[in-house]
Order: sequence, then C-alpha cells, then structure tokens
Amino acid sequence: MSDKKKVVVIACERSVNLDKELEGSHGANLKGVDNAYVVQVPCSGIIQPRMIESAFDDGADGVIAMGCQIGDCHFREGNKFCRERILGLRPPVIKKTVPKNRLEGLWMSEPQVETFKDRVRDFQDRVASELEKEGASAS
Amino acid sequence: MFTKIVRAGQVVFLRIEDLLNKIFSSEQNILYYHGAMPNFFMWILFLSGLLLFAYYMPTLEGAYQSVEYITQKIPFGDMIRGIHRYAADAMLITVILHAVRVYFTDRYREYRIIAWYSGIALVFMMTFIGISGYILVWDERSYQIVTMTRDFLAAFPIWGDSWAHAFINDEAISNYTMAMSFFIHTGTSFALLVMLWIHYMRISRPVVNVTWALGCLLGGLVLLVSGIYPATSGPEAVLIQTPTYFDMDWFYLWIFPVMKSIGYGWTWIALTVATLFVIFLPNFVDSRDDEPASVDKDKCVGCKLCSVDCPYEAIYMAPRTDGSKFKEIAVVIDARCAECGLCVGACNFDAIELPAHISHDYMKDIRVNLEAAA
Ligand code: SF4
Ligand code: SF4
Repeated sequence: MSDKKKVVVIACERSVNLDKELEGSHGANLKGVDNAYVVQVPCSGIIQPRMIESAFDDGADGVIAMGCQIGDCHFREGNKFCRERILGLRPPVIKKTVPKNRLEGLWMSEPQVETFKDRVRDFQDRVASELEKEGASAS
Repeated sequence: MFTKIVRAGQVVFLRIEDLLNKIFSSEQNILYYHGAMPNFFMWILFLSGLLLFAYYMPTLEGAYQSVEYITQKIPFGDMIRGIHRYAADAMLITVILHAVRVYFTDRYREYRIIAWYSGIALVFMMTFIGISGYILVWDERSYQIVTMTRDFLAAFPIWGDSWAHAFINDEAISNYTMAMSFFIHTGTSFALLVMLWIHYMRISRPVVNVTWALGCLLGGLVLLVSGIYPATSGPEAVLIQTPTYFDMDWFYLWIFPVMKSIGYGWTWIALTVATLFVIFLPNFVDSRDDEPASVDKDKCVGCKLCSVDCPYEAIYMAPRTDGSKFKEIAVVIDARCAECGLCVGACNFDAIELPAHISHDYMKDIRVNLEAAA
C-alpha cells in the first residue's frame, strides 16, 4: 500500500484525455499515480460544492476539480464558473469546513496527459505537507 | 470518416491553443476571441465607413472623383480608406477562423443550430457588402463587377432577368445603378446587425469584445497593412471603353474569376451545391439522445441561480401555481438544453439534475473508490 495521499479528481471528460489512463476494479485509478481516483463528468460546470464536500467527508485527503483551459469550454462557461466557485466568488459557495488548501482547480486540455499526471503528483505532495501543518497546529 | 476528420482537427486546434496560451496567456489568446474578433473589425468598418460616407458621391460622374478626393485631399483620408478596405478582409478572415473552429470543436449544431444558419446568412451578407463596396469606387474593376453581376443574375432561370434589372436599377448602367449599389452596401450593413442579433440568440453573455491589448494589436495590424499596401483605385470607368484593370481581392471578389473560368450557369450550380452542403453539414453527424435537465418541483426554491448560469438561455423562471410557499420555479426549455450540467453546479438545493448524469451517482462513485482504498 502506497503512502501517497488519497486524491479524488473530478474531471471534465472533454479536458485531459484519460480514455487509456484509467484502470482498477472500478476503472477509476489513474495509471502510474498511486491513490489517485478519477470520476469523469460532462463538464466541470456540473461540479456542485456538495460533490467536493462529500468527497472530503468520504475520506479524500485532497480534491482536484479539473476542466478545460480557462477561455475554452465546450459549454462556454463551465470551467469559468467552477473556478469562481473554488475561489469563493460565485454562489453556491463551498462550505467553510472544506479544507481549501487541499482543494485545487486544474485547467488543462486534451493532449496534456503527462503534465496532468505530474500535477496530480505535485498536488499529493502538497496535500501531505498541508496535512502535516494541520496536524501540527491542532496539537 | 467525418468524425475522424473532426477529431483530428480538434486536436490540432488544442495544440495551437496550448502554444498561444504559453505565449500570450489565456486571457489574451486570440483563439478564445474567435467570435469577438469579427465583431471588432465590424465596428471599425462602421466607423471608417461613416467617415467615408461624409464625402462620398454615389453617381457615375462623382463617385470616382470623390473617392480620389477622400484619398488625396482629406487629412488621413487615405488611411481611413485603407482601414476600411483591410478591416473588411480581416473581418472575413476571422469569420472563417471562427467558423472552422466551431466546426472542429463541435460547437455548431443541435442547441447551437440557430448560430450555424444565421452564420451562413452573415457570410452571404458580408459578401454582398464587400462586392457592392468595390462597385462604389467606380474604377474599371467596378465596371466589370457590375456587368458580370448583371449577367450572372440574368443567367438564373425564370427570375434571373428581373433580378438583373433590379440590380442595374434602370434600363442600362446609370446613376440609379450607383444608388442601388450604395443602398446594398449600407442597407445590408444595417441588416447585418439584425442578423447578428439572431446569431447571438440563445447565447447568454456572448463574448463580443476583444481585450484592449488585442484590440490594439488587431487595429495596429490593419493600419500596418494599409500603410504598406495603400488602397488605390484603377483607372476610372468609362462606359464606352472596355475595362481591363481588375486588382484581385480574394476574400470578396473570388466569385468573378470563378464565373470567368466556368461560366455563369456552372457558377450558379456550384454555389448552390456548396451552400446546401454547408447548410446540411450539421446533419452528417448523429445527434445524441435528448435527455435535458429536469427540475424537481418539490426541491426547487426558485432562487434563479440556475437560470442565470445556464449558458444557452434554456431556463426561465415561471410563477408557481401549486400552492408552494415559493413564488417561482425553474423551467427548462428542452429543445434549447445542451445537457451541459451547469445548472446542476449552480443549484444549492439538489433540485435540478441531468437524467443521464445524476450527481448523486458521481458522489457514490467517489465513495466506492475511497472505501475500496481504505
Ligand atoms: S444542462 Fe442546464 S445549464 Fe446546461 S443548457 Fe441544459 S438547462 Fe442550461
Ligand atoms: S438553482 Fe435549483 S433551487 Fe434555484 S431555481 Fe434553479 S432549480 Fe430551483
């Protein structure tokens, strides 16, 4: 069992092309990155704060919301709205109980598969250090 | 086959986009303003056209001289003429970019079909405006455009003769012909605005403006080109002489070499076939099954957030009649719904869902995976 932090990626199916990158019994494990689970949605605009909250409630250490590059959205404004929600600029806002430091928005396009994986690995490291910090301040 | 070509084109676009994002940042990426750029050039055309309008004389005797007067005597007249000419080319170039991009990114059909049809109409209107604009200069090229257009129209079966007559506006080429061309040029320009309004229908918050930086860049480019290649007239048209001068503008005048090489009849046929092809292009691709967003009337509190966020104006708020304590309810217009789910992301009350993509199923997926990992 890898000690990598558990990260859930809620990804727009039109952003990074993950057709050949998922495996595991539920077909959600990101190949080559331990403990990263991907759930694909039609557009990052569908990501409701509730989805992010429930991922943390269910035991995720970190959550990534991923859409296409800002400026380009198949449905015009989905990634823009999603980003604004993550930044707390657009209702509905994400609950205060959600650890914002362990939530990230990624905005990438179809061909950027390898960059995406690197970003997930970086994020796992950041989540680890955030958790350490949180642990230190709690004790 | 079609799907494969489209897929390949889309990947090409995405790669160019990546590159531009790296150079310009996504805020200044021209590909993200593909629809706003033609609009920008259109306003430049209106503005420069207005200035030209002040000195232009739409008569056989006066037209050529007035254009020369504008170019040589009016301060910055040559510059404004050049801007008017090259902004028109730039507008068509960016329109083509816009059309190719929406085609390859699959953003032109189903819930966007109105934009596709009105876009085709817009291209035709632009071409009319462009061709009539080249008549107004009244040099030898203008003369050839008039005679060829007349003969082209006359070649159409049944109604052709009356169209040709309406275009010439008299028995022979006269001042009325000039008046007609001037009318086509300016009248269609205003009609363009109406068509543009239709083009924007069902698009909430359309991106119609480029950024300041991009505006300066694009404006500067037009200015630069008009400085290097000033817009000039050929020899003045004389009705009793055979005109020979024809400087090509491949964006607006391409049809005339086509007419010359394949003849009027075949040009009509080719034009009709090509237009029908473009009109039916959306029908070559299968559409998906429609499963538009649906509102749970017991949960909806009428907060309007979904109707504000819907990017295709597919949700409106209706007064409630079922005795609920809330005044309004969200109603989805099924035919306009793109099944994008932005309304789902906007609803804090779990009251709107895409039947094919239930948000609770996604949450369950997440839970299952995390539990399996624990
Ligand atoms: S899914 Fe919702 S937001 Fe998207 S077009 Fe349909 S009603 Fe509008
Ligand atoms: S966001 Fe939800 S609660 Fe608000 S009007 Fe729309 S469906 Fe109703």
